Order: sequence, then structure tokens, then C-alpha cells
Amino acid sequence: MTATVEEPRTTEPAAPAARRRRSRLSREQVILLTALPALVAITFALWAWWRASADLDSIESRQLAWGTLANLTWQHIKISLVTTAFVLVTAIPLGVLLTRGRFRRASPLVVGVANIGQAAPAIGLVVLFAIWLGFGFWTGVLAFTLYGVLPVLRNTIVGLQGVDPTLVEAGRGMGMSGAGVLFRIELPLAVPVIMAGARTALVLVVGVASFATFIDAGGLGALIQTGITLFRTSVLVSGGLLIALLALLVDWAGRVLETIARPKGL
Amino acid sequence: MNDHSQQHPDGVSGVDLELKDVTKKYAGQQTPAVDGLSLHIPAGEIVMFVGPSGCGKTTSLKMINRLIEPTSGTITIDGEDVRSQKVDDLRRHIGYVIQGGSLFPHMTVAQNIALVPGLLGWDKKKADERVDELLDLVSLDAGRYRDRYPRELSGGQQQRVGVARGLAADPPVVLMDEPFGAVDPITRQRLQDELMSIQSELGKTIVCVTHDIDEAIKLGDRICILQEGARVAQYDTPANILAAPADEFVEDFVGAGSSLKQLTLARVSDVELSPWTTVTVGESSRDALARAEQAGHSSVVVLDSRKRPRGWTWLRDLRAAETVPEPRTDEILGVDRRATLNDALDDMLTSSHGAAIVTGRRDEFLGVVDFATVTQQIQDAGEAAEREAAGTA
Amino acid sequence: MWDYLVQERADIAFGAYQHTSLVVQCVVLATVLAFALAVLVTRVPRLEGVANAVSAIGLTLPSFALLGFLLPLLSLGTGPAVAAVTFYAVLPILRNAVVGLQGVDRTLLESARGMGMDPVSTLVRVQLPLAWPVILAGVRTSTQMTMGVAAIAAIVLGPGLGTYIFSGLEQIGSANALHSALVGTVGVVVLALVLDLLLLLFGRLTTSKGIRV
Repeated sequence: MTATVEEPRTTEPAAPAARRRRSRLSREQVILLTALPALVAITFALWAWWRASADLDSIESRQLAWGTLANLTWQHIKISLVTTAFVLVTAIPLGVLLTRGRFRRASPLVVGVANIGQAAPAIGLVVLFAIWLGFGFWTGVLAFTLYGVLPVLRNTIVGLQGVDPTLVEAGRGMGMSGAGVLFRIELPLAVPVIMAGARTALVLVVGVASFATFIDAGGLGALIQTGITLFRTSVLVSGGLLIALLALLVDWAGRVLETIARPKGL
Repeated sequence: MNDHSQQHPDGVSGVDLELKDVTKKYAGQQTPAVDGLSLHIPAGEIVMFVGPSGCGKTTSLKMINRLIEPTSGTITIDGEDVRSQKVDDLRRHIGYVIQGGSLFPHMTVAQNIALVPGLLGWDKKKADERVDELLDLVSLDAGRYRDRYPRELSGGQQQRVGVARGLAADPPVVLMDEPFGAVDPITRQRLQDELMSIQSELGKTIVCVTHDIDEAIKLGDRICILQEGARVAQYDTPANILAAPADEFVEDFVGAGSSLKQLTLARVSDVELSPWTTVTVGESSRDALARAEQAGHSSVVVLDSRKRPRGWTWLRDLRAAETVPEPRTDEILGVDRRATLNDALDDMLTSSHGAAIVTGRRDEFLGVVDFATVTQQIQDAGEAAEREAAGTA
Repeated sequence: MWDYLVQERADIAFGAYQHTSLVVQCVVLATVLAFALAVLVTRVPRLEGVANAVSAIGLTLPSFALLGFLLPLLSLGTGPAVAAVTFYAVLPILRNAVVGLQGVDRTLLESARGMGMDPVSTLVRVQLPLAWPVILAGVRTSTQMTMGVAAIAAIVLGPGLGTYIFSGLEQIGSANALHSALVGTVGVVVLALVLDLLLLLFGRLTTSKGIRV
């Protein structure tokens, strides 16, 4: 006799165990989770090998010195992370606010404006902010924050709106407070969507942070700029490559985090 | 059982519920959704709100736990105005069960059930014990199901957990909104049977919205039939409503007059059960055959070691095997003795053995209801109704 | 500001025209490419995950970095601009076209076959019209996105409004810097809005009334 018979009345078939254990990842996700780091690692290894063995002239070897590269990369990561932190602390509360009570009606307007704003070229925003506030790190952070807010804002709103309203009502009906429902039901259920927005924003920010160099805020964009002005293909391509690899790596890290942080029951 | 429950001596833990001239008018609408509803719901009874869609039955229900605030009128629970307490406190002391269970998908079964106890500040150990107790009450094995997520459960199991969650803090009043609307008919019948058995144990005051008149007749101590604007067309016991519908609307709605309807009124436990030849899994086929042939049965009921019915088997299938074979599914057959004759008739028609298996406590086999018994009941009911009609005329 | 606009109106108009022309041509090219790829991908189910992954990776690549690769290959000028803009334009359309084509009810395809339509006419007369709204949504996303990419392309002397942004950057400190940067940035936003409205209109005209929402 099987174990199921030992218990009373569970006659409807439970969800088969196979379905529970089956990987919840799509083929696309599997490719992205495995191939991305491999692609990044191999490309970086090839580039590093080229860098170590290539015959560089004095300009190139100064630009591509290991120390300089490490410094530029660190600047790039720093401005991206600071910006993303700014994006999260502004966009998520704003998104929550725009799904509450009377502010709800404003959300299409805000998303609409944000959408239009997204069409503005990042480089344009950077230049305008530089004219207003002068060059420097914080100008860059501000301009990039403005640029990165939209995906997180939109996904926060979409994620919260996507929560089944009967669950919210069930929560209220059981006597959970508005804040209780928000923090224990709505936000946990919206986490996957919000995190996807955060990842998109982070990747966008790593990309636009390349423009930081134009306003003396550092970063790997410097290599591309020097490469173009000094006609040094090797510097140019190295810059493009390192930025691209950084973006891919960040995207991968984001996806890994999303897979881990996803609420288990979903 | 629990120090917070106020057990009445007669096993009733529910309290009186009173609606007085309750009206709900939405802004911009001509006619009120609920128009001056007054209703007394006695402690420990199941009252079914039933009516056509849009009649205001769900609105009426949700005004009790203030998910919808009435425009005017008062609602009292155990004599206390619902508006005299903080809304969240009020709701924590009223059970709420929704269609499909509405379980929170990111929480385990145990977390779902322990939510309200948590809000009420119970300590973890007490809440844990309560979870196991409730899972047992709704016939789910605690060890097996408490740490599962809702998506790992079938629809019926989710609904059971939904009921357990509604009962978690042992509220005197439980509101149910189409609780069994999202499951298949067979599972629904099971869940209804279980709810009745739980209610006979706990004696809550239950207000349940349904659009299914059969469900209302089966579950309700009283039925409140509502017309548009939640105007009460009739509020009475199922038997009285079927016997003497107040007006044409009620008559149409319940399909009264049809003697088949009486089947939803009569319980399996009301009629005499017939014995049937039973065999136990693993028993020698020869012995089983001998008993069946002696009784003149062409098929037998297969029981497991705990006397739970597991299937019907034709004699010719028995002859083919040395011992009585294991049934192919884990399913337990039959209708509960609290089920209606209507349920039994359904079961009979699907099983094609001309009789429905009846089970008692712990699903133990009690006997069968055969077709002749049911037809006799229809006839009796028909005659009774005619006599009634002749008497009143 | 107004004086600046009046004074530069011919140049601005020309820049806007170049910008639009670059984006529109690249998006048209990208739509054709993406549709062809999508048809291929939907015929070979195993390719779908790959295509989506490639498209996700592609969208991750920063445009400035991509221009960095393309420059040495295609030298300065419109070449890298066209290549970069088309590359980005393909990705959202490809994704949507795959979703759209797969969203077509299989029974419809069977009945088309059953009526004796050959695969090509099934594709053109049944699948494409039904998937069109989804594909068009991809085209709108592409257009919005590539307006920005085209602005960055100005750094490689590609045509368009991006040049105003860069000249604004170079002139920081002078009075014209703000004017120039504003023309570049706001101009791109306005162009993007206009193009989006036109695409919306185009969508209404080209979507069968039977499936319009």
C-alpha cells in the first residue's frame, strides 16, 4: 500500500512531484545563466592574453597599463553602484506611492512622462546636467539616476499591480493592516518583477556610465574617448570590450540574484 | 480546547449576528446595491446568502467585516457594533474564506494558516500546534502538507487550507464567499460534507454566499434568498422554503415543486442503507466469490485494511485473479453519510453499479444506497408535497 | 534661445531630417531582418531560446561600447552609425516577432493548410497579419531606443541631432552650449514622440479591424 492511503481523504491528486521538481528555468534563462559567465570569462582571457603579449606603442601602453585599467574599472563600478542605489531608493518608494489610493490615478501620467523622458539620449542629459552643475562625479550620478529611474519605477508599478487583487482583499479581510499587506503580501509577490527592473536599470547605468568621462567623472569610457581622439584602435576596442564585459557580468550577477531571491512558492 | 474560544455548553462557539436596516449606496448609482437589509443570524447556524448575480449578496457579506462600509444601518456581532472597534482588530476576530482559498502563494501552508494567530500575537509554539490541529480538522496530513506551497496542492486541498486559515484564530463568526466555487463537482461535494462535519463539531456562526441553490439547501440551517438590492425574498429553513416558497421569484429560483429537489433536502443518513458484499485487498478471490454469489451480487466493494472503500469490482474480474488485487488509484470512493440523496444519485450514475457507497467516520464503509431506495424517496416526497398542497388548498 | 533656433533653423531642420532618416531606414531594414530571423527561429524550435538569449545579451551591450568595436571595422562616418543603429533595432523586433508568430493559434494554421494554402501564403496571409500588432509594438520600442543610439552615433561623425549635444559639450562655458545641448536632447525627444505617434497611426491603418483592440 502506498503512503497516500495512510492519510484520510486526500483523494484529489496532489500536484505531481515531477512538476514540483522540474526546473522552473526556461531554456533562455539557462543559456543566459551559464553561457554569459563563460562568454565573459573567455573573452576577457583572450583580451588579457592579447594585452600581455601585444607590441604596444608608448601611448597605448600608458593607456592600457594594468593599474590604469583597474582604476578606470573601479571608477566605473563605483559610479554605477552609487547611481543604482539612488535609483532604487527613489524609484521603489515612488512606485509604491503611485499604486496607493488616490495617487493611483497619477500613475499613467507619471509613467507616460517617464517613458517620454526615456527617449532623451543619456549623453544629452549628462551634458545638460554638466552645464547646470559643472563637471564631476555627483553630476554624473544625478544624470544617470534620472536615466535609470524609469525601468525600476515601471516594474515596481507593474509588479504591484500584477498582484492578484483578491489576495490583497484576503489580507485585508483577515485583518492585516495596509502596511502589513504591502510588506508581507504585495512587495514579496512583486519582488521578481521589481528585481528584473533593477537589473535592467543597473545594466543601463553601466552602459551610460561610459559617458562619465566626458564630464571628468572617470570610468572606462575614457578609453573609447582617447581611442577616438588619438586614433588608437587598440585602446578604443579595449575600452568597448571592457565596458561590454562589465555590463554582461552585471547582467549575469543580476540574473543569479533574481533566481536566488525569487520567493519559493512562485 | 483553546482558552480563547468561548465554548457554549451546547457546543456552539458562534455568536449572534444582527443586521439592522443596512444600506449601501455607491456614489453615482441610482439604486442602492443593498437596500435596507435587516437580518438576524442566530449563534451557531449556517446561513446561506443566495440569489442571482448582482443581487448584492457579496456586498452584504463584505459589510459584516467592513471590507465595504455601509452607507447607513448597523451591524452587531454578539450585540457589539462592528464600527465600535478598530477595523483590523474586528477582522482578526472574524474568519474569512474566499473562493479558491486565495492562499498567499509565497507562503507555505503553515504560514498561511498561522498568519492571523501571528497578527494576534500568539507565540510560535501555540500557533504551530494550532496549524497541525486545523490541518487535521480539514483532513490534511499535517506532516505532509504543512511546509508545502499552495501551488503544490490541488484545488480541493487549497480550498481546505483556505477553510483552515479562516478558522485559525477560532473566530466565533466565519464569512465565506463562494467558498467552493472553483473546484470540480465531486471535490465540491466532498468539501461540503467536510464543512458540515466541521460545523457539527465547532458550532460557528457561518455566513456563506453562494449562487448554487443546491449548495444552499445542503449546507444551510437557513437560507436567505436575495433579490436585487439585497431585498430579502425569503429567509427560512431549506425545508420550509422548498415546501412553501414565499412568491414566484423564490419558486422559480429554487425550482420548488419538483420532487427531485427534495433529494437535496434528504440526507443519506435519513434512509436505510443496504448491506453489500465487501472484500478486502489481498483476500483470497475464491472466498470472496463464494460470498458474493451467495448474496446474489454481480459485483463487490473492495475495502482496504482500514475498511475504507477503494473501488467496485465485477465478479468476472475477481475470477481472473488469485487474490483480490490492489486498486489502481489511491482514491477513496463513496459519499459521506451527511451527503444529500442528490449527491448519492450523482455518484450512482457515475459509478454505473446502481448503488452508491456510503462512508462514515474516517471514511469507513457503512453500506450502500441503492437506486430503489432513492426512487422510493422521490415518490414519498412527491406524495407528501401533494398532500401538503391538497391540505392548504 | 528663440534667436538661436531662428538663426540655426536650417541646420537644425537638416539635422533632424538626417536623424530621422537614419533611424527610419535602419528600423525598416531591421524589421525585415528580424522578421526573417523570427520565421527561421519559429521553424526550428531549439533556436528560440538561443535567439532570445542572444537578443537579451545584445540589449545588454552599451551602445557606446559597440561603437567602439565597430569604428575600426567600418572607419569613421555613417557606416558604424548604420551598423550600430540597425543592430539595436533588430533585437526588440526579433523578440516580439517570435512571440507574435508563436501566438498564432495552431488550429488556424492547420485550417489554412487544410484549405490548400502553401507555406508562403500561410505565412504572408495568415501568420503575418495576426502577429502584426505584436511585431509593430517591437518596432515602436526599437524606434524609441535607436533615437538615442543615433544620437550617440554622432560621436563617430554620423549624421543627426547628436552633433548638437557634442558641440554643446565642447562649448561648455560659452552661451551657446546650453542652446546647442537643449536642441540636441529635446529635439531627439520630440522626434521620438512624433515617430511614435506616426507608428501608432500606421499600426491602426495596417492592423486588421478584426483583431484591433
